[in-house]
Amino acid sequence: MNKHSCHSERSEESLTETTETLRFAQGDKADMDSFIGRLLSQTGREPAATIPILQGIQKEYRYLPEPALRRVSELTGIRLADLVGVATFYHQFRMRPVGRHTLRVCHGTACHVKGSERIDDWVRQQLRIPTGSDTSPDNEFTVERVACLGCCTLAPVVQIEQSTYGHLTADTVAAMLEDFRATRHETLADVDQVSGRRNGHAPEIRVGLGSCCMAKGSDELFHRLRETVKDFGLDVTVKRVGCVGMCHHTPIVEVRLPGGPTAFYAKVGPDEAEPIVRRHFKPVSLTRRLVRWVDRQLEEWVTGPKPFDHALDVHSPPVEAFMSRQVRIATEGFGAIDPLDLDEYLAHGGFQALSRALNRKPEETIADITASGLRGRGGAGFPTGLKWQKVRAAGNRSAPHPSPQTTAGPASPPNCGGEAVPSPMSSMGEGLGEGVKYVICNGDEGDPGAFMDRMLMESFPYRIIEGMLIAAHAVGARAGYIYVRAEYPRAVSRLREAIRVLTERGFLKDFDLKIFEGAGAFVCGEETALIESIEGRRGIPRLKPPYPAESGLWGRPTLINNVETFALVPWIIRNGAEKFAALGTAKSKGTKVFALAGKVARTGLIEVPMGITVRQIVEEIGGGVPNGKQFKAVQIGGPSGGCLPASLADTPVDYEALTAAGAIMGSGGMIVLDEDDCMVDVARYFLSFLKAESCGECTFCRIGTMRMWEILDRLCEGKGKRSDLDELLQLAGLTAAGSICGLGRTAPNPVLTTLRYFRDEYEAHIAGRCPAGRCKALIQYVVQDNCTGCTICAQRCPADAIALTPYQKHHIDTDKCTRCDVCRVDCPANAIAIESAGQKCTGHTHQEHLQPLGRV
Amino acid sequence: MIRLTIDNQPVEVPEGSTILDAARQLGINIPTLCFLAGVKENRPSCMACVVKVGNDARLVPSCSTKAVNGMVVSSETAEVKAARKAALELLFSDHLGDCISVCQRACPAHLQIPETIRLVAAGKMTEAIATVKENIVFPGVLGRICRAPCEQGCRRRQYDGAVAIQLIEREVADLAGKSYVPACAPPTGKRVAIIGAGATGLSAAFFLLRLGHKAVVFDAAAQPGGQMRGKVADKVLEADIETIRQMGLEFRGSSRIRADVVRREFDAVILAVGPNTTGLGVDATERMIRVSPKDFSTSLAGVFAGGTCIRAAWDPARSVGDGKVLAESVDAFLNGREYRLVIKEFTSTIPKLTTEEYQQLAKGANSALTVRELVSEAEKAAGRCCHCDCRAAHDCRLRIFAEQYDVNPRAFSGEHRRAFQVIRQPGGVIFEPGKCISCGICVAIATQAQEPLGLTFVGRGFDVHVAVPLDGALADGLQKVGAECVKHCPTGALALEHDS
Repeated sequence: MNKHSCHSERSEESLTETTETLRFAQGDKADMDSFIGRLLSQTGREPAATIPILQGIQKEYRYLPEPALRRVSELTGIRLADLVGVATFYHQFRMRPVGRHTLRVCHGTACHVKGSERIDDWVRQQLRIPTGSDTSPDNEFTVERVACLGCCTLAPVVQIEQSTYGHLTADTVAAMLEDFRATRHETLADVDQVSGRRNGHAPEIRVGLGSCCMAKGSDELFHRLRETVKDFGLDVTVKRVGCVGMCHHTPIVEVRLPGGPTAFYAKVGPDEAEPIVRRHFKPVSLTRRLVRWVDRQLEEWVTGPKPFDHALDVHSPPVEAFMSRQVRIATEGFGAIDPLDLDEYLAHGGFQALSRALNRKPEETIADITASGLRGRGGAGFPTGLKWQKVRAAGNRSAPHPSPQTTAGPASPPNCGGEAVPSPMSSMGEGLGEGVKYVICNGDEGDPGAFMDRMLMESFPYRIIEGMLIAAHAVGARAGYIYVRAEYPRAVSRLREAIRVLTERGFLKDFDLKIFEGAGAFVCGEETALIESIEGRRGIPRLKPPYPAESGLWGRPTLINNVETFALVPWIIRNGAEKFAALGTAKSKGTKVFALAGKVARTGLIEVPMGITVRQIVEEIGGGVPNGKQFKAVQIGGPSGGCLPASLADTPVDYEALTAAGAIMGSGGMIVLDEDDCMVDVARYFLSFLKAESCGECTFCRIGTMRMWEILDRLCEGKGKRSDLDELLQLAGLTAAGSICGLGRTAPNPVLTTLRYFRDEYEAHIAGRCPAGRCKALIQYVVQDNCTGCTICAQRCPADAIALTPYQKHHIDTDKCTRCDVCRVDCPANAIAIESAGQKCTGHTHQEHLQPLGRV
Repeated sequence: MIRLTIDNQPVEVPEGSTILDAARQLGINIPTLCFLAGVKENRPSCMACVVKVGNDARLVPSCSTKAVNGMVVSSETAEVKAARKAALELLFSDHLGDCISVCQRACPAHLQIPETIRLVAAGKMTEAIATVKENIVFPGVLGRICRAPCEQGCRRRQYDGAVAIQLIEREVADLAGKSYVPACAPPTGKRVAIIGAGATGLSAAFFLLRLGHKAVVFDAAAQPGGQMRGKVADKVLEADIETIRQMGLEFRGSSRIRADVVRREFDAVILAVGPNTTGLGVDATERMIRVSPKDFSTSLAGVFAGGTCIRAAWDPARSVGDGKVLAESVDAFLNGREYRLVIKEFTSTIPKLTTEEYQQLAKGANSALTVRELVSEAEKAAGRCCHCDCRAAHDCRLRIFAEQYDVNPRAFSGEHRRAFQVIRQPGGVIFEPGKCISCGICVAIATQAQEPLGLTFVGRGFDVHVAVPLDGALADGLQKVGAECVKHCPTGALALEHDS
């Protein structure tokens, strides 16, 4: 039973808190006051500034001290009730002090299927965190669960402060902690800033610097390359480029010689920087060359020649298979253009589309977009042209503002020029209520397993803004936001820098563009909840109709589109609607970016024309399911989507076709599942996510998702009953029909699709078996007869469940065993099998392929 | 103006009206819990007011959905009713309340236990006597020989011992002695013969006399009392019976009569004869008289039967309860009305509580709510009662709709639930978050009134709950609008401390 009484939770932390309160009562209070004063002059004092204010306080103090909240309330007039209501709604905000470092374990879909729950257990074990607490006894780390960090191809992932670690295993968790403690983890400053001027004809060494590449060390690599180039005295540009999408080969380095050959290197670490430079260039000065040569000979004499096998043949079949079916529209210029180099973007056709749009009537632009068949890429697939048309046509009369939430501030937009505050008045001098409209880019990509939008924001910020400006002109908006979720700091920095540059160069003089950082709520990806949070309130969705096109931000007509949707717009305007419509199917035109992750050989980000089949994506592009496992299903569309069984893999990627099969297109997350994945567990996982993200406003979603999850949890624990399936279906139907917003209405989808296509697994769980061998309560680890007595399992077992019996067959104590899987994976004789009640599970005959620690 | 139809009835409403407005105009009653005109609108939460629009797969909340020209709304289909019922059942799965306290539910004689106890704790002995004597008929006897299922069920029993309910009843009865006589309605002129002067028969007589009918009780024995005689001191039994005599009871001992015979002289007959079921002139087996379970009528018109002649084991409290129900049935018969036995009033039940939660329960005890010194044994015992019966039982909207929609409060019960908690503003509001359905009305009222601290929603999802910000005291949160919030709270989550 959960107890949300504050009283019981407080006692554990009360000592730390009392100390904190005392601290603020004394000298630090003056510091706090002056800090808050400075903060408020940046954010403004209107209720709409609530979230930026709280974010500012948390950044400074690492949590929200009570005295700070009271002071803010005093100075701004924002009611304490509203501050607390907002602070406790969003997961980013902490009301209590935390350990010195925050360690976040990702539990996104890809991480979940790759064992994030075990990682969680191992981390807590390593840090000796007692049950019921989240902070290590020495206050060094606080462990948090995070829904998805968007680094799905590195699954399972942990983020400690700004450092991301991927491909974690039991063995590498300790190493990760040591690595963090040992090194200084400051992000090298200029990864998010405009590079200096460079020679356009010089050779280029290109390195991808997206968040997930950086998690693999590409930032260090980037700097080593620069150092080496400088050291050699070369006129070579080491250039940051946008995402190539081949996550299974990253970090990738491309060496481009003007008029000469191009070389690619894969899985490059910082130590390979010099060898790569040396392969193509010689140090300018003779002395240097000599020195280098001598160094090298000595090194090789001492350690032996080092093989260099990082060369990547981009014409090899696997790379061809990954790349050749892709059509790059949103990701045009991938791997070639520096995300923040405006001139380069301009040289490659950037802002031509905007220029074209500005020089003709808005209706023509809308006609173009309509003719192209573009549909919203956020998941629902609403025809984009039609939405733009609605916003354009929305009346100039003041639309009735929906009754504000009970804890709302004033219902009209504020009129000061603070950081996060829209200033429709200041930018145009128009009166309020006179045709004010907004454009919002929805970058709150919350689907676990989806990271396309993050990639687009980090790699192509100018393109997205260009798309927004085209839309703004078409609908008549002069102000807008890019809403980026809290978990994407890199995307935020890059977009901020892009805005700074564009402002400097005059591109934004007619459009007031701001960034709003989310505060940790998946539900804020729902457009009306997103609007509520910009307005400074809890992210509770509004009932639709009215739709935002009619009454959105501050009650004004608002166009909200997804990042990818805006990223496709410039190409369409530049190349013509027909070219876009020539791609895809009858009703689903153009291309879609997918994040391919999970049990597939070649993970990454791909942009493919609609109409390609799921099988083609999984088997041709993705290279199929590795390790000899059997392809079981594909999870498409995140928590609102469904699981398409392998038997339906020939379904084309098309909005209607996927819906008919019970899934949805979704935002683009595509997780491949194999025979080791339990479908009941997958359904439980999604419901666990949804119930944690439900805003809690309406009965069916708030209570229904909890009850559905409880049933699934019971099934996975072997405590299911016959009647559970009927109750599950009943709750699914009610929640779908009776919820106010899309989160609740689609929450039953994972359950419904898995029941539809994998009912036998549900039945098996009721009978006490987990056919995939996954659900801890229904499996046991058993040492087989071919055990050699090497004692490795007994040594490695973190639960002391295996007695050390050298040269004899070992035995696992099932009661102590936590099913962590370490013994089975480490057994050199493959002598440990997963069994369930009287039946051996399918699969598990091959050793699982281990990936090395991601930071290396 | 907007024109739409609801359940095939056309209606015209001003622009901006909701479907609920239109329904009310037509006199169609749609249940609402979280809606309050002028205070909280357009923020649907409870979903009790869902309706179907056209062929849309979604159900929409009528309180917040604007009426549109040509809309076709269905508010009474099976699907809609099932959804409303499910919404209520989901709310109950996370609702910690006893509409009727366990002790009262357990009492076969339907004694108003919590109310009686509160009167005793408050020192209002006259009212306490009245409450006891008017309901329990044999308080002296039962205060000594009843097996006290009330104490078995008392929530405090698992914590630190049941409240001594039987002791309270006994002391009140002894205090009253023969002095208190319940008032009776004006004579109706009807005469009822009761065969059997045991607990059932005498209880039936008591209640019939209260209703103004004439009751004549026959018994084969010379003295009334039936199986009660010999189990308690004679003077205790006599004191209880004396009350009924003073109400106008006529007792004819040493009489052995048949129902069919005596029926000719009386307007109705009640058989409360115990195991001697043959030779009475009605259908019977050796142990049981055949009766209709609906109204206890026998094979002979105007003749009713109850007590151990239709049920095996003797239980004095049960017999008293049986007598009451028989009297009601006969009263209906005498007035030409149909009688239907009410099996059970709707009640929600608090599940098993943890130790911390019992401590919370004790915060609502009578001793915490009164400033009096509790002196007598009865008063001290009464002080321990935790008032788990809901203060809003009679006007709780959740309960009213639960009865209307035949809700099963356990339909969706699950492992996770709110915590039981009692938060008090001494002398003012008592807040039980366990009963809260997160409707937001109180938060809205406090905001509208610009309470400096007020109330807010804390957290989100299943764990969302209403609280005073930053763990403030309830008194600080609701300085101005406490009573207003209580008035509009659709459940018993917010109540005034001194509501009975």
